[in-house]
Amino acid sequence: MRTRKLTELLPFVAPVHVLILSVIVLPALYVAWLSLMESSFGQAPSFVGFDNFIRVLSDPSFRSALWNTVVLVVVAVHVELLLGLLLALLFASGLPFRRVLLVCTLAPYAVSEVIAVVSWRYLFDPQAGPVTQLLLSLGLPVLDWSFEPVHAMILIAMLTIWLHLPFTFIILYAARLAIPGDLYEAARIDGARPWQAFRRVTLPMLGPAIVVALLFRYIFAFRIFSEVWLLTGGGPARTTEVVAVYLYREAFTYNAFGTAAATAWIMVLASLLLALGYVLVLRKQVTGNAH
Amino acid sequence: MRIDRLFIGLGKAVAVCMLLLWSLVPIAFVVISSFKPGREIFAVPPRHIFTPTLEHYAALWSRWGVFFDGLLNSAIITVGATVLAVVASTCAGYIYSRNSSRFLNGSVLFLIVVRLIPPIVITLPLFPIVNFLGINDTHGVLMVLYATFFVSLGTVLMRTFIDQIPRELDEAAQIDGAGRLTILRRVIVPLASPGILAVAVFVVVFAWNEFLFAFIFTGTNAKTAPLVISEMIGSIDGVDWGILFAASTVQLAPVLLFVVFMNRFLVAGLTAGATKG
Repeated sequence: MRTRKLTELLPFVAPVHVLILSVIVLPALYVAWLSLMESSFGQAPSFVGFDNFIRVLSDPSFRSALWNTVVLVVVAVHVELLLGLLLALLFASGLPFRRVLLVCTLAPYAVSEVIAVVSWRYLFDPQAGPVTQLLLSLGLPVLDWSFEPVHAMILIAMLTIWLHLPFTFIILYAARLAIPGDLYEAARIDGARPWQAFRRVTLPMLGPAIVVALLFRYIFAFRIFSEVWLLTGGGPARTTEVVAVYLYREAFTYNAFGTAAATAWIMVLASLLLALGYVLVLRKQVTGNAH
Repeated sequence: MRIDRLFIGLGKAVAVCMLLLWSLVPIAFVVISSFKPGREIFAVPPRHIFTPTLEHYAALWSRWGVFFDGLLNSAIITVGATVLAVVASTCAGYIYSRNSSRFLNGSVLFLIVVRLIPPIVITLPLFPIVNFLGINDTHGVLMVLYATFFVSLGTVLMRTFIDQIPRELDEAAQIDGAGRLTILRRVIVPLASPGILAVAVFVVVFAWNEFLFAFIFTGTNAKTAPLVISEMIGSIDGVDWGILFAASTVQLAPVLLFVVFMNRFLVAGLTAGATKG
């Protein structure tokens, strides 16, 4: 492209890039620099190499936060994917009032994390919550989430699945609708049973969408903050802390900017690693379409 | 065969019921409980028949004036962020759709990757900078932050939508002597309005509901509605659930209706956003 044309185009793309450079990229690079420094309020930063990373990685609180995050991401995202897949198949099988049901399924997308926490705290209130009451009357175990860390993590996982299922469902449903009906016709003529049609047609055709939905949700679930912060605050005794909450505490409670920055870059690297997978899948799709 | 059909139909009906319970119960309980008399909110067993009351809304109005300031702040910030994100994304999406070069293609990939950086990471350096510039606790900070985290998705979405507008229309306008800006305003924007609405839905829902940035970057002046509600939960010595439900209902109702009416654009946006980058 000629330089003249490029300078003509620049004003149109500039706002987007100026915003992204000044709000995301430069601050993220500054965080990288900060992660190699010892620094706090009113104190000149001094270079300490990878000390902050070593300190973070050997901090038992960070390890427990990382463990919580990874377990939460793995459990919540896969359960969500399974539910999303089942829903997509349910909708694709033909439902009456499809549009109404679709809108109902999408409804949690509109709900703020704050409101979702209000609602789920109430429903699962250990004494008088309606769901707790229901479980008790059915003789089922209840979630004692304000004392039991594992129960709290289960509640957080359910909450985050509830908030994000609409996203996963829509991705999979759109991909399912894009599968040509001829394929199922052909499979039926060949004598395939419904399960075989699912295994041999639906699943392979949904493959790319499943990978995209998974990677997206890994990346977005890994940064989970509000649900945990508002539901348990990381407690009791930091047992339900996740990486983002650990970062927040380091930075804004203890003013330990060096270790907070190192934590931040561990988050960035994890996200970018997952993003790499996403870009590779996109590439493959683009070249696949070209053939 | 008919028995089979019956079973399948029954299975589907059960599945649909479970889906509706799962999706709607958490929302319905908030809304319905906001009209329950105070002592019946935690009645054991839960009471489903009651005389509706507006007492919690009246209490919200008289005791939590700050909540309504928060709503106004949320509205201002949402409008600002949406306009900023839509204008920037449309301009960039137009260029990315109509031109291609190594530089441009590379910069799209860059946009997609940057979007995946966790927001909490950048609060760390922005907090002191925002304080230094004296723009802490202003509407502008949140508008810019919210818009920035959606311009990359917005740009990619707009490119996808503008790709579907025939280039012949641009060329015809060009022959008539229209410049890029005129073509964008007169030809592209009217035809790309579904894309614009899809981008707007994302930004509106995000900006209206966001918690983390509002929590870190606002204090009193620009405090948003979700933040005020989080403070209501936080006053742990005595959460007034009635008022909390009333405030939650007021915050939730507009955005829920918005999503219901715009569901087509939301679905189109989600689909294009994930598969095209």
